[in-house]
Amino acid sequence: MPLDTSTYNLALLRVDGRRWNDLRRLHGQIRTQAAADGSSYLEMGNTKVMCVVTGPSESARRGGAGGGAGGPAASSSSSTATTPNGAEIAVTIVTGGFSTVDRKKRSRTDKRVQELQAGVAKALAGALHAHLYPRSTIAVSLHVLSQDGSLLACLVNASTLALVDAGVPMTDYLVACTAGSTSGHGAGDEGADPLLDLNGQEEQELPFLTLGTLGATDRVALLVCESRVQVGRLEGMMAVAADGCGHIRAALDRIVRDKGAQMVREGAIAKGESIGMDLD
Amino acid sequence: MPITILPPSVAQEPTRSLYQDGSQSDSDSDGGVDLDGDVSMGRPTKRARRDEAIVTPGEVITEDPQWMRGHGTYTIPEPPQIISSVAGTLSKTNKLLSVRPLRARYTPEIGDLVVGRIVEVQARRWRVDVGAALLAQLPLSAINLPGGIQRRRTETDELQIRTFFSEGELLVAEVQQLYNDGAAVLHTRSLKYGKLRNGVFMAVTGTGGGGGVVRARRQAFTLDISSSGAEGGEKIDVILGVNGYIWISKHIEGEGAAAESSGPGITRIEESVGLNVYSSQNDSIPLDTMREIARTRGVITALVENGLRVDEEMVTKGYQEAVEMARGEGEGDDSLWLGGEKGKRLADALVGR
Repeated sequence: MPLDTSTYNLALLRVDGRRWNDLRRLHGQIRTQAAADGSSYLEMGNTKVMCVVTGPSESARRGGAGGGAGGPAASSSSSTATTPNGAEIAVTIVTGGFSTVDRKKRSRTDKRVQELQAGVAKALAGALHAHLYPRSTIAVSLHVLSQDGSLLACLVNASTLALVDAGVPMTDYLVACTAGSTSGHGAGDEGADPLLDLNGQEEQELPFLTLGTLGATDRVALLVCESRVQVGRLEGMMAVAADGCGHIRAALDRIVRDKGAQMVREGAIAKGESIGMDLD
Repeated sequence: MPITILPPSVAQEPTRSLYQDGSQSDSDSDGGVDLDGDVSMGRPTKRARRDEAIVTPGEVITEDPQWMRGHGTYTIPEPPQIISSVAGTLSKTNKLLSVRPLRARYTPEIGDLVVGRIVEVQARRWRVDVGAALLAQLPLSAINLPGGIQRRRTETDELQIRTFFSEGELLVAEVQQLYNDGAAVLHTRSLKYGKLRNGVFMAVTGTGGGGGVVRARRQAFTLDISSSGAEGGEKIDVILGVNGYIWISKHIEGEGAAAESSGPGITRIEESVGLNVYSSQNDSIPLDTMREIARTRGVITALVENGLRVDEEMVTKGYQEAVEMARGEGEGDDSLWLGGEKGKRLADALVGR
C-alpha cells in the first residue's frame, strides 16, 4: 500500500495514526544481562534492539606478527573506531532473519550492516571518554530483533543505554532520531511538513535522514541521509530530528534514573550525598 | 459504518506519557521548529534534579568554581561547570566532587586484595586477568620462592617460570603499584597470597556495582561450618576479591591462602613457606566440606541476585541462615540450591524484611 500523501494532507495523520511530530512508543530496560558489563533492550515502536557491552578490556595483541593475528574471527565481522591514545570501540551488529516481514538473513559481512556498524562506532567514539582507557577495547554487540524503521537511530540509542549501564564515561547521552519530509523529491510543495521518527513503511516512501546529537543540545554527532531530498527541506528535517533527540534523551534518562532510584531504594548502592542543599 | 474524519485541531505535542521532563515549554530561541511542550535545548537544570537519587551523564553538578572535579566528572571552561560523565551517586571528599558509577569494571587501587587468573606467561612476568580494563602484571620478583628462600631471581627461575604459575591458574594477590594508564602490578609476597586450589571460583560484580563485593576491613575470612553437621573439616576459607572474583575453598591449617589476619607476616617467611605452595594438585576434600562450599556459593549467588552487598558479615549471616533453612526443610541435597524464590526468602531474612 503506498503511503497516500493526499490522505495525510486531509487529516494530518500518518499511516499509524501519529501526527507529524509524534514519536513512537519508546520502551527500554537496562541491565538485562547479568553477566555482561553493560546491557540494554530498547523498543522504538516496532523496532527492537538488544545490546551487550563488554569491556573496556585489554585489546587483543596487535602489531606483533603480521597485524592480523589477533582474533581474526572478531576483527572481520566488527567495525572499529579508534581514538587517539584511547580505547578502541568495536561494534558488531547481528540481524535476526526473523526481524523483517520477508525472512531474509543478512550476513555480517553485508555492506549494509558494515555501514551501520561503522556509523555507530564513529558516533560513539566522539561521545565516549575513551582516552581514559588506553590500550583497551570496548566491544558493543547489537542484536536486531525486529525492524520497523529508524534502525540506525535505535541501534545508537540502545548502545548508549548499554554503555551507561557499563559505567563508561561519556560527554552526554548520544541519542539519535529520524526525520522525513512528506513530499517526495520533485514535488514543489513548500509547505510540506517534516515528519518525526519514521516507521518502516514511511521510510520506504519518503526521503529521510538520521540525526544523532549529544544530549539535548544541537551538537550533531551523526548525520546520515541516503535518499534524495531537496536542500530547502533539510534544515526543517534536521531541526525536527534534533528536537526528537531531546525527547529521546529525556526518555533514556528516565530509564536510567528509575533503575538508579530502584537500586538506591533496595540498598544495593549507598545513597549519594545530597549535593543540592549545601553546595550552593 | 460511516467514518467521520474530524478536522484536526492544532497539532498536539508528541506523546508525553513517557517523558516527564518537567520543562515548562519556554523559549526555544534558535530552533527552526517550535514544537509544543518542547524540551529546553540546554543542559538539565539543577533545580529539576534536587530530588533525584542519582546523577546521569551530561548533567550539570555544579557551576560553583570552589569545587574540584574527581572521577566520573568532566569540566567545560565556558561557562565553568562540573558535569557528570557516568550514571551514579555523588560523593564529596572535602572539595572534591566525584561520581561513583552504578556499575563499572573494577578499577585497581593500591592495597586491594584481588583474585586473578593467569592469562599469559612472559619472560619475567605473568599477565593476570583481574577483571579490570587492563591486564595486571605479576613480576617474577614479586612472588615467594618455594621454601621461602630469599635471593635474586636468576635465569634458571625465568626458564622454569611455568612451575610457579602457568596459564589458567588462579591466584590471590595484592595490588602493589599502579601505572599511569591504570594497569596494576601485583605481588604475592605474603603467606596470605599465592596459588589457589581445593576450592571453587565464582565471579560477581566488583566494587561500584549494585550487589557486589564491597571493600571491607577483611576480604578473606574463615567460615565455621560445624553447625551444618559436617564431619570432615570444620572450616572453609572464603576470599572475596575486591575485583568481584571470589574463591571458596577447604581450610588448611597454617598454609597458603589461609586467611588469618594475624597470620605470619613477611618476616617469618623463611620457615613457613612450604615447598608445595605452587602445587596444582588438589587435596582430597570430604564430601561434607564440598557440600558446604557449594552452599556458601549459593548464598553469595543469592546475595548478588537480590542486590545485597557481599562482605564478611553478610556471607557469615547468610550461611547460618541457609543452614537453618535447610534444617527446617529437611530436603537433603536439594537445600543447596538457593536461587529464585528461596534466594529471595534468604535475602529477606537477612535484611529483616
